[in-house]
Amino acid sequence: MPNVRVTINGVEAAVPANITVLEAAKFAGIEIPTLCDHPAIEPIGACRICLVEIEKQRTLQPACTFPVFEGMVAHTRSEKVVEARRFVLDLLFSERNHFCMFCQMSESCTLQDLAYEYELDHWKFNRPMPKFSVDASREYFVMDHNRCILCRRCIRVCDELVGNGTLGLKNRGADSMVTADMDVPFGESSCISCGTCLQVCPTGSLADRASAYMGATAQIDRVKTRCMACPVGCGTELIVRENRVIRVEGDWDAEPNKGLLCEIGRFVPLHEKRNRVRQPMVRTDGDWTEVEMEEALGLMNEKMREAGDDVATIVSGFVTVEEGKALAQSPGAKYLMHPIASEQSTAKQADLDEADLFVVVNTDMTEDYQVAGFAIKRGVRQRGARLLLINDAADGEAADGEAADGEAADGLGDWAMRRFGPEDANQAVSIARGAQMPVIVAGPDGAKLATELADQIPDAKVLIYTPGGNSRGLYEVGFQEAFEGQEAAVYHVVAGEISRISPELLEQLRQGGTVIVTTSYREPWDEVADLIVPMPTTFEKSGTTVNADGMVGQVVVGVITRAVPTNEIFNSLAELAQ
Amino acid sequence: MTFEPVLLRRTSLPRSDSIDVYLANDGYAALARALRDYAPGELIGLVKASKLRGRGGAGFPAGLKWGFMPQSDGPKYLCVNTDEGEPGTFKDRELVEKDPHQIIEGAIIAAYAVGAERAFVYIRGEFFQGIKSWIKAIADAYARGFLGQNILGSGYDLEMSVHRGAGAYICGEETAMISSLEGRRGEPRLKPPYPAEKGYWGQPTLVHNVETLANIPHIVNHGAEWFASIGTEKSTGPKIFCVSGHVYRRGVYEFPLGISLRELLYEHAGGVPGGKAIKAVIPGGASTPPLTADQLDITLDFESLEGAGSALGTGAIIVLDEDTCMVDVARRSARFFAHESCGRCTPCRVGTQRAVDVLEAIEAGRGVPEDLDRLEALCHGISGNTFCPMGDAVVSAIGGTLVRFRDEFEEHISQGGCAAPA
Repeated sequence: MPNVRVTINGVEAAVPANITVLEAAKFAGIEIPTLCDHPAIEPIGACRICLVEIEKQRTLQPACTFPVFEGMVAHTRSEKVVEARRFVLDLLFSERNHFCMFCQMSESCTLQDLAYEYELDHWKFNRPMPKFSVDASREYFVMDHNRCILCRRCIRVCDELVGNGTLGLKNRGADSMVTADMDVPFGESSCISCGTCLQVCPTGSLADRASAYMGATAQIDRVKTRCMACPVGCGTELIVRENRVIRVEGDWDAEPNKGLLCEIGRFVPLHEKRNRVRQPMVRTDGDWTEVEMEEALGLMNEKMREAGDDVATIVSGFVTVEEGKALAQSPGAKYLMHPIASEQSTAKQADLDEADLFVVVNTDMTEDYQVAGFAIKRGVRQRGARLLLINDAADGEAADGEAADGEAADGLGDWAMRRFGPEDANQAVSIARGAQMPVIVAGPDGAKLATELADQIPDAKVLIYTPGGNSRGLYEVGFQEAFEGQEAAVYHVVAGEISRISPELLEQLRQGGTVIVTTSYREPWDEVADLIVPMPTTFEKSGTTVNADGMVGQVVVGVITRAVPTNEIFNSLAELAQ
Repeated sequence: MTFEPVLLRRTSLPRSDSIDVYLANDGYAALARALRDYAPGELIGLVKASKLRGRGGAGFPAGLKWGFMPQSDGPKYLCVNTDEGEPGTFKDRELVEKDPHQIIEGAIIAAYAVGAERAFVYIRGEFFQGIKSWIKAIADAYARGFLGQNILGSGYDLEMSVHRGAGAYICGEETAMISSLEGRRGEPRLKPPYPAEKGYWGQPTLVHNVETLANIPHIVNHGAEWFASIGTEKSTGPKIFCVSGHVYRRGVYEFPLGISLRELLYEHAGGVPGGKAIKAVIPGGASTPPLTADQLDITLDFESLEGAGSALGTGAIIVLDEDTCMVDVARRSARFFAHESCGRCTPCRVGTQRAVDVLEAIEAGRGVPEDLDRLEALCHGISGNTFCPMGDAVVSAIGGTLVRFRDEFEEHISQGGCAAPA
C-alpha cells in the first residue's frame, strides 16, 4: 500500500493510504478521543466525539471513519473541534443518569475522563433523567441502562468478535435501548458470559460485580499474563489493586485471543467458591490437621522413599513447564490428568481467522475451547467460511445433515454446512478439496483422524486441542501418557486450580495407596487425599505454558503470596530420585 | 398560468390505476420505444440532456446518478423509493394509488438504462392503498409482458417486487432504505461508498423517488428538449406541489417548476380562508426553512428557493396564516424529528430531544431568555455534525423558524406563553 503525506496539527507524516484519520493521528502520536470506536471492531461514526477539522471539507468529519488522502491537513484540537466535542459531551451527559460520584465505574470511565478533559463544569441543557431499568439478571455483571450512551460497542463486539449476536438495539432515537436477544432479561438470554462487552463499555453501563467501585485507574496495576485453563492459551491482563486481582481482562495485543476471553478465563477464578489451601494438611484418623511446610515435606519424602519407584505423578494442565520439569525428575511414573494426543498441530490458531473451510473433529469448540470457537463462528458468519463437523454423535445421519433424535447437537451445529460420522469422513474430504485454506480442528480422540484427513486434503493444516492449559508443554517435558487408572503405592496429584476432575480418577484414588495432592483448593481432593500441600494459583506464580499450536506463553506473578513456590517442593522430590 | 398536466394527466380518469386505462392512454409506448430505439447509454444521455433533477427532496441530477452506475456485469439493483414521509408531502401517494403504471414504466426504463436485473419497490408501511395498488400493478405488468423475462421481445429481463417499510421516516434516505430492504435496522450507512458503488448487499444500486421515475416515460416519448423547455433553465420539467395548511383548496397541483408561489396559492389553491394574511410558508416539507410573507413572489424552483435560504425539497407547501404560533410550528417539527431520529449519532438522537424540551418550555410559558441561546447552540452543534443529512433537516426546520420569527419566541418568553389565538 503506497503512503500518502498528511499534516495533522502541524505534524507531517507519511501514512498508509488506506487508513482513517484516527489511525493516521496515532501514527503521528496524536490522540483523538473515541467513545463508539474501538480498534478491535469496525468504526460506525456514531458518537461524534472524534470530530476533527479537515481543510477543504465543508463540515467537521469523524476521524474514526474518514479516510486520509494525499495532502490532507487536519486539526484535531482547533477551537471549532473543541466546541463540537463539548457539545457532544453536553448532550451525552444530559441524556441519562451520569452522576459520576455514585457510579461504580467512577474514575475508570472514558466518558468521565472526557468531561474533565473538556472542562464540562456545568450542565448546559436540562436533564430530564428518565429512569431506566438495571438488568441484574446475570451472575457476573450488571447492565445499567441509566449509564448507557448507546455507543453500541457491546453490541458490535458480541456480533463481530464473539460471533454470538446476543446483544442488539431495540426502539429508535432517544428510546433506543441495548437489549438481549428478543428483549429478554440478560440472564435468560443466549449470552455465554464471555464478558467482552464488559471490557469495551466506555461508561459504567456494563459493570463487573466483583470489581464494582474498586477499579479507579490511578489505583490499579495491570499485569499481562496467560490463562492456563485450556490449551487456547489466551493472553490476559490482571487488574490488580492492593495485591488482589479484582478483574481479569483479555489482552488486546495477545495472540491467539486478541482481547477476547471466555467465562472460565475471565470470571470463574474470581468467583471461586472452594476453600483455598493455605497450609499443608495431614489426614490422621479421618481428621485434617494443619502442619508446617517442613513437616509436610518430610512426610512427603518419607512416603515416596518408602514406595521407591512405585509412585505415580499425575499433573493437571495448570502446571507450568518449569514445575513440570522439576516434577519430571521425581521418582516413578509420569502421567497427565487429561487425555493427550501424540499428533501435533501444524496450524497456528491465527489461521482460524484466515481459513475458508473448517473441519471440526470430535470436539465441541463452543464448550471446551471457546475462544477458538469464536474464531470459527466469526469465519462462518463473516467470511462465509464453510464448516464441516465430524463426530460420533453424527453417525449414520450424514445424508440429511440433521442431528439424530434427542442427540445433543454440537454447539457449532447451527453453523455447520454438513455433519458426518467418522466413517463418512471421506465425504468431508471431497467437500474440503478445493478450499483455499482448510483448517482441521480436533480434540484428543479426533487427532488421529484429523491428521489422516489432512494428508488427503491439499494445503490442509491441523490444530489439535487436548484438555489442560499446559498439557502440550508438559508432554514435551516428559508427561506423555494420560492417567487411566494405573496402580501405584503413592499417588502424587499436582492439581493446581483444576475443578473439572473425572469421577474415574477420584474413584481410582479412593481405592488405595497414599494420595498426596498439591493443590490450590481443598475440594474435591479432601475426600481422597492423605496429605494436601498448598500450590499457588496462576495469578500467583510465574513460568511458561505452551498452548495448542505450540506457542510459548509467559505466566507472570500478579499477586504475591506467602505460599512456597512449588518449584522448591518439586525440586526436593527430585533430589529423592538421585 | 394554465398548464396541461403531464404526470397527473391520467389521474382524473375513471379507474386510472388499471393497466387497460394506462394502455389506452399511451401507456408503455415509451418502454417499447426505449427498448427498441435506445441503447442503455443513449437513455442515460437523454436523461442527462433533459436536466431532470430528483424529486425526492435533494434534487440531485437524475442523469448524473444513472451515469454513476458502473458498466460492469455483476448484479445491479433499482429501488423505487415510495417511502414518502416528509410532513406535508402526499404526491407520491397520489401517483402510486392513481397511476402506478406510469412509475413502473419509468422504473423499467431506468433499470434497463443502468443494467439492473432486479427492482424493489420500497413503500411506506402506512400506505395501505398504495401497497395494494403496487402489488396489483406489478402483477398486471407481469401478465402483459412488461416485466419478467424477455420484456417485449427485447431480451431484457427485469423482476420487480414490493417491500413494505415498518414506519420509519429515515428509511426514505437511500442508504437507510437499503439497510431496511436487507432486513437490517433502518439506519443510514456511511457514504462513500454511495449506493451506485455499493448498495443493496454491496452491489451497485440506483435509488429513485417515485415522481422522478414517473417523468422518465414522458422524456422518452417527447424528448429531452421538450422536457427542458418546461420550467426554468436549471429546474426543468413539471413538478407536483402538495399544498396544505391554511388554504381553501388543499391538494396536489402540477405546474412547471418556476411557477410563482403567490400564483399557486392565490390563483389555484384559492387563497387563505377568512381572507387572513399569510404569516409563513414552508415550501418543501417540514425539513425546509419557512418563507416569510414578504417572500410570496418567489418562484418555485431549486435555485430561487436556495437563494432565499430555503429549499424546494419535495414541493410540499405548507401555508401558515397570521394566527399561527411559530413556536408551536417549531415545536411540532422538533417533535417529529426527535421521534424519527434513528438514534445512531449523538447530535441527532439527543439534540432533537433537547430541542423539544426547550421548545415545549417556551410554548408552555416556562421559557427563560437563555433558552434561545440553548436553541441556537443546539442548531449550531447539530448542523453538519450528524451522521446523515437528517441533522441538517432538523436545523432547517427549527433554526430556520427561530431566525425568521425570533420576536415571537422572545414574546413567548417575556409574556409567559402564547399570545396567538388558540
